[in-house]
Amino acid sequence: MEAEDKPVLQFNLVNKTYVETDKSATGHKVLVDLSITLYPGMVVGLLGQNGAGKSTLMRCALGIVDIDSGNINTLGESPENLSIEAKQRIGYVPQQPFGYEGFTIDKALELHRSFYPNWDIALEQDWLKRFDLDVTQAVQKLSVGQRQSLALIMAMAYRPTLLLLDEPVASLDPIARRQFMGAMFDLALESGSAVLFSSHITSDLERVASHVALIKKGDLVLFKEIDALREEVKLLTINDDTKLPASYRILSQTGQTVLVDTQGNSDVIAGVQNEKSLNLEQLFMELHR
Amino acid sequence: MLELLNVNPSSGEPIYRQLHDQIVRLIVGGQLQPEDVLPSVRQLAEHLAVNPMTVSRAMQQLVDQGWVERRRGQPSRVAARTSANNASGSSLLAPQLSALVEQAQQLGVEYDELQQLLKQFWQKE
Repeated sequence: MEAEDKPVLQFNLVNKTYVETDKSATGHKVLVDLSITLYPGMVVGLLGQNGAGKSTLMRCALGIVDIDSGNINTLGESPENLSIEAKQRIGYVPQQPFGYEGFTIDKALELHRSFYPNWDIALEQDWLKRFDLDVTQAVQKLSVGQRQSLALIMAMAYRPTLLLLDEPVASLDPIARRQFMGAMFDLALESGSAVLFSSHITSDLERVASHVALIKKGDLVLFKEIDALREEVKLLTINDDTKLPASYRILSQTGQTVLVDTQGNSDVIAGVQNEKSLNLEQLFMELHR
Repeated sequence: MLELLNVNPSSGEPIYRQLHDQIVRLIVGGQLQPEDVLPSVRQLAEHLAVNPMTVSRAMQQLVDQGWVERRRGQPSRVAARTSANNASGSSLLAPQLSALVEQAQQLGVEYDELQQLLKQFWQKE
């Protein structure tokens, strides 16, 4: 977070449009002038409706999807031609893992491990225990949650500098989710990694994220430290003639109810009848009215 | 003391502040005495399943305000009470009181009525 830290991942005015198959002239905009920077130690929760562009954002960072304009810097390189060294420092768990059918867990791990020179076997063993996985089991017989746990181990046991997790916890039970969150903190804080993870479970996001990024239709509406989010984003009830300061950013408005980002301006504003802090779920709902 | 702490991530209030306020309450209420050892940031973070950065922010604030003492290489301890940190129990009730008064006014409950209610509930506890 300090200025001397080099960004782990940087998006600069990135645009991406998916061409429609039914020849509609415009196409479907998935990312719109999106800029975001992740520094070491950040755990960024990515929040947005289905189809808002969360998965696309991650795929663009990895070079799986090309962008139309703007630029992306992934571990100091361009994602279109990431070096092997860079790839070995990235962990990614897509929404739908993943191969290794026909393997047992230990055979799958043995193969996977061979791709990563920095693999930490002690960490792997520790997490197998934490997630309560039996290594002699066949991968295709695992439950969805167990597969997800294995995918997490496979993406995290080499302590990647950049970790991208697309809905990593959706199928985990509450205990496994907590285990995973602990593992993620260790990674972010001890190894100085940056984590970007999407989830619809806002209470988990509230616990683990240091920052929250909220995208709506490909547009990054908010990107803030989570504590600042609670302190600076308010739902105001105002009079018809209330003048809000220019430093306020209005995020949405329905009649006399305004969602604002005060951006740290804590002045008392005349004409504001009521102000309320929101939790993430409430914020999410307000933004999508 | 871990079992005395819990946070509600879905409240609009930042977690670091919830944690800070709870520890202050424990100190003012006497459940935590001067020289009592506090759990480490790591233990707290693990117990509450929250980001350790959040815990460390709360602890830093407690240290800055003189509630907690940190000596090199030792666990954090509750500081001796000084003039700087002698907030009373009653002053810590201010947020709840203002919320209560606000709601009473919204519901049209008069001051006298509220006073009566307060008395009833006090005697029930």
